[in-house]
Parts: sequence; structure tokens; C-alpha cells
Amino acid sequence: MAYDRILLAHDQGLATLTLNAPDKLNAVSRKMIAEIKDCWETLAADSSVRAVLLTGAGRGFCAGADLSDPDREGGPTADSGAALDKFFNPVIRLMRSMPKPIVAAVNGPAAGVGMSFALASDIAIAARSATFLQAFARIGLLPDGGSTWFLPRMVGDQRARALAMLAPRITAEQAKAWGLIWDVVDDGALLATATDVARRLGDGPTLALARIKAALDKSSANQLSSQLDLERDFQRELGRSEDYREGVAAFLAKRKPVFKGK
Amino acid sequence: MRRDRMARLRGPCQSRPAMERTPVIVVREAGVLTLILNRPQRLNALNPALIEAVNHELARARDDHDIRAVLLTGVGRGFCAGADLADGGPGESGADGRPDLGAAMDRLFNPMIRNIRTLAKPVVAAVNGVAAGGGANLALACDIVLAARSARFDQAFVRISLMPDLGGTWFLPHIVGDARARALAMLGASLPAEEAERMGMVWQVLDDGLLMGEARELAAQLAAGPTLSYAAIKKAMNVAPTNTLDQQLDLERDSQRALGRSDDFREGVAAFLAKRAPRFVGR
Repeated sequence: MAYDRILLAHDQGLATLTLNAPDKLNAVSRKMIAEIKDCWETLAADSSVRAVLLTGAGRGFCAGADLSDPDREGGPTADSGAALDKFFNPVIRLMRSMPKPIVAAVNGPAAGVGMSFALASDIAIAARSATFLQAFARIGLLPDGGSTWFLPRMVGDQRARALAMLAPRITAEQAKAWGLIWDVVDDGALLATATDVARRLGDGPTLALARIKAALDKSSANQLSSQLDLERDFQRELGRSEDYREGVAAFLAKRKPVFKGK
Repeated sequence: MRRDRMARLRGPCQSRPAMERTPVIVVREAGVLTLILNRPQRLNALNPALIEAVNHELARARDDHDIRAVLLTGVGRGFCAGADLADGGPGESGADGRPDLGAAMDRLFNPMIRNIRTLAKPVVAAVNGVAAGGGANLALACDIVLAARSARFDQAFVRISLMPDLGGTWFLPHIVGDARARALAMLGASLPAEEAERMGMVWQVLDDGLLMGEARELAAQLAAGPTLSYAAIKKAMNVAPTNTLDQQLDLERDSQRALGRSDDFREGVAAFLAKRAPRFVGR
């Protein structure tokens, strides 16, 4: 699939997906979400990709669904559920189930489902000038893209309800203080910092990182007893990996490990 | 002033001759149902009459389309001191002569918490003073909590050899995380409002003199908002803690589909594109 609304770059195991509709602060049109979905499918299946960096072109990260999209169905019979079923929900499921880490570099406003994309990433780093907004209630909707699930787990039930109902715009600093994102850096340093983190993860023990993703996803619905069993099973599996052998050897030899993701 | 407020009294308290004997003052105004706990001499401790009045009003609000938000607060120095331990306490006597606290939970306290959580409209708590025991957890059951700077949140239960109830053992870990929840419950900690805000139990702390004005404004704002959105958000947040992400994505799809057909969504999009303020009607 040729991409028109997104950019995809590869560099030694690190893929960079850039939302590219800067004149609309990267609002998600039907065309763009179809490309995003195709792109995540490709990246998930490509074993040469060991980490993904997600960011936006221009001043914005992602302004959420494009309400002025000519392809958008309008009117009273429009089915908001259909677009979620066909595009947005598969994208969130792909991001979470993909066995490699995703770093979001939030370079500007992240609103609506754009904020959901940041929350669905494994590690989100924001520019100091970035803002976060659960815009949905402002137009009579509820947060989607998994935000009704991410928010209470990240900020607790009370703040989650207020963020969803009152739809306040919050700063990157506030988002960090509340645990919505991992870090805030100066605008000029964002891309280099986020690329560095993504590169480090891309050079990391990919299988272990994948099992960390899976285990943390399960932890939110598991009982402790089930989670202990799951840790046992995953650890057993990782104990047979080449990267574990290399990690232990490097530790004992007091040198840096060279992981291959196997 | 007092006659004016008296004139607005509704519900089971209507026939009572004196304000002091009305356990809950009820005001309905511009889409907001305000419930003011009114046993100030007992720091608004929960007795059967008070809980029955709250439950009665919440049940009425459920079917009253003119009510689009609820504001809960207290008269005097306290928000709510929890179960009233005077007059024999909340325990109905069990078969062995010892109190049966479970019976009171079943009949009064738990229905109150369930009524708040399942009400399809936002509930705001204005915590004007101490919120202790069941009073603290009554506040946590509300969707948005504002607190006066002098207020305190006190999980007092262990001091009388009980455990947190009114949902406290569920709300606390979901709000402040497991480690803090265990400490708060076991130590019976009493938190100043600012500490509670830092832990995420309170959306906003306000100077005492500003609390009620801000709370009324917030409730009015919510009452003029997209009520169906708020209802869907409540429902989604209520089940989020036990859902998998997969189940929650399906739920968001179904709720968003329903909201996408609402009048308020059409208005919201039209207002957004025209760059004007939306006028929501709650349909």
C-alpha cells in the first residue's frame, strides 16, 4: 500500500511512523486511518523491525478524528461504531499486541483519539509545549481508542472521570505528574531523545520486551495468583532464548550485551 | 432567605416542620439536584433517615429528565462523619444479640453507593469539611470530587475494628494504587485535602470560601452538557477496571454508535465546525 497521509522510515531495526497531515494538526481522516492500520499490520509482521517510533509532522501530534473529512459519514444515520470496528479498534489492538515496543514522541497537541494513540504506546515522551485533551465529550461522545480503559489505569478512577467528563486541556507537565506519559523534554530535544529511547529498545532483548508488554496487559485483569503463573511461563520461555544466554554472559564478563531479538 | 429555601424542599422531608429535622435539604434548580446532608450537630453522620432520604431522591432523579446533574454536600463543619454510631449504631440486632452490620449495608448503605454509580448523570461531591469512614467513601463514589482546603479524608474504620465499606476497599486501590490503599485502610489514615488531591482522590482543592461557588458552577456546567455522553462515560468507567482492553474496545464501539445517533452529537459537530459554543439538550 502506498502511503499518502503517513510517512514510514526504516533504520536498522527501528521503524518511524509519522502522521503526515500537518495542515490539520494530523487529524485522522478515513484515508489516514486506513493507512495507519495497514502500516501497523506491516510493522507487526516484519521481524526485521524491533521497535517503532510514532510521531506527527509539523506542529501537532494528532488532533483526533477529522470532523471536516469529506469521506466522513454525517447525518443521523451515521454509524460511529462502524469506523471503530473497522479501523480504530484494530489499530489499538495491533499496537498493544505487537511483540515490540512502541515509543510515542508527542510533538504537539494530542486530542481525542490522538491522545488514545499516545496512551496506547508503551512509552510516551512529550515536548514541553504538547497538550493532551480528551475532546470527546465536547461533541457529545465518550472517549474511544481505548481511553476509557487506559485512563482509569493510569490516573485512577476519580481523575479519569473528570478528564473524560470535563474534557480539560492539560499540559505535558501535568500529564507526566499524573502518570499519563513517561517524560517531558524541551521541544527542541524531543525527537533526538525519543529516537534514542526507541533505538535503545530496538537494540534490546526483543522477546523480553514483548513478554513485558503481554504480562502488563494481562495484569490489569488477572488475579495475583494467575499472574504468578503467567510470569513463570514467560520466564521459562525467555530462559531458553539466545538473548538470555548473551545477557548472562555479558553480565558475568562485565561487558555490554549484544541482543539479537532471538 | 430561610423561607425561600424551605419553599424549595421536596420529597419525604416536605412535611417536617423545622429545617433542623430534615436530614437532607433538597434543592432542584436549573437541571441540578442539590442534596445537602443536614445533621450538622453530628457532622452529618449517616443515620437511617438520612440515607433513606438520599436514596429516595436519587431514585427520583433517575427518571426525572429535567435533572441532568447532582451535587452532594453537607451543612456545617463536616461533609459526612460516616455511620452514626449513636443510638445503638447502624447494626440491627442479629439472632445472637450482637449487631448485624451486614443487614444495614444491604438495606441502606450499599444501595446508596449503587444508586450514585448507576445514575445516568454526573454526580459532584463538594466536600466542605471532614469526610470520615463511610463519609469519605461516599465522596469517592461520586464522579467528580471538589474539596475545601480544610477538609480531611479519613479511613477511620480500623479504629473501631472494622474495615472500609461503602465501596472503600474497591475505590481506594482503583484511585490511589494498591500500596497506598493498603496503608490508608490499615493505618486508618486521615488525609488533608491537598494530600488527597495529590493522590488522585480529589479532582480539585479550593479555598473554603470558594468551594460552594465553584461546585455549583461545575454542576451547572455539567447540567448543560451532553448528558448521554456523561452517562456513557460513567458506564464505561464503572466496568473498565474488570474489563480487558479487548472487551472495553467493543464497549466503546457500542456506546459510540449509540451516541453518534444522538441530537447532542449532531449539535456538537455542527458547533465545532461553525466554531461556536454547542447547546446540548441531553438527548
